[in-house]
Amino acid sequence: MVRSLAFLISFVSLIAGAASPSQGAETVWSGLVIAENVAQPQPISPELTRIEGALKKFFGYNQFQVIGQSQKTLKTGQEDWLATSKFFGLHVDAQGETRAGYVLNLKLYKEKELLLETDAKLNKHSPLVIKGPQVGSGQLLLVLVVE
Amino acid sequence: MKTFEEKWTAWLDGQLSGRELSEFEASLPDKAAAEAEKADARKLGALLKRELGATALTNEEFFSHQLRERIIREFGGPSAEREARASTWWTIPRLLWTGTASLAVFLIFTVIVIRDKNPAEESQYLTQILNARVDPVVSPNGTVSMFEVKQDRVTVLWTEGLQSLPADYAAK
Repeated sequence: MVRSLAFLISFVSLIAGAASPSQGAETVWSGLVIAENVAQPQPISPELTRIEGALKKFFGYNQFQVIGQSQKTLKTGQEDWLATSKFFGLHVDAQGETRAGYVLNLKLYKEKELLLETDAKLNKHSPLVIKGPQVGSGQLLLVLVVE
Repeated sequence: MKTFEEKWTAWLDGQLSGRELSEFEASLPDKAAAEAEKADARKLGALLKRELGATALTNEEFFSHQLRERIIREFGGPSAEREARASTWWTIPRLLWTGTASLAVFLIFTVIVIRDKNPAEESQYLTQILNARVDPVVSPNGTVSMFEVKQDRVTVLWTEGLQSLPADYAAK
């Protein structure tokens, strides 16, 4: 009887643990992406594969080239980091972890000039895409994904 | 008024006396044969008392033990086999535990499904933009809007009116 009870408790705990959201360290991928329409589009970056369809649908481009990126493993949820290209910089300041993801402050710089600032709750299962300025014939996009 | 059979039985048992005895004996057609029958009846009674009388047990516990052993030998074996055949893994406690476990699993999965399908809580599963602004000096006509694409689970911050930049800015 005692063994049955122990088995039941273990089983229920296992199920409950699997059902609850994990609270371990997560890696956030931040990317500066130039979206363009070209005759011979390059293969999309692996980090963007899961949202390739959505990007093409929303923005109407056929190529998404990463010009700057950063991968940051968050342990405390209070870290900050920078993803940069030659002219742009995306500063990400994590301001805490929630059950669903992270609270982030994002700042897009063009060289030292602040273009855009936003606060967002980045969900672990929901990427964030920010439409930046027009660059040549393409578009700068900022993408954040919890991996 | 006693019948002849009643008087006969009483006479055999020696329970008639006095006038009743003398009258009954006078009514007997063959007293000698009756006396012989009475003697036989007494002998039979004595024999029965001797042979069928309760005998005192010298060791009651031993007798009880032997009796129980015999009962188990004769009836216990097949009964135990029947019980063994009838018993299965599904005992009452196990049935109760299985039922409880099934109920717990059902409740857990119900909660998970309800949480996943509750539209009111759907935004918990999408990235939320709390606020956004463009620098009014750099982009005086800049505007921001946001939308969530639930189908793709993507949240988009859409800007308009930002200063366009030359293609050189696409450099890595």
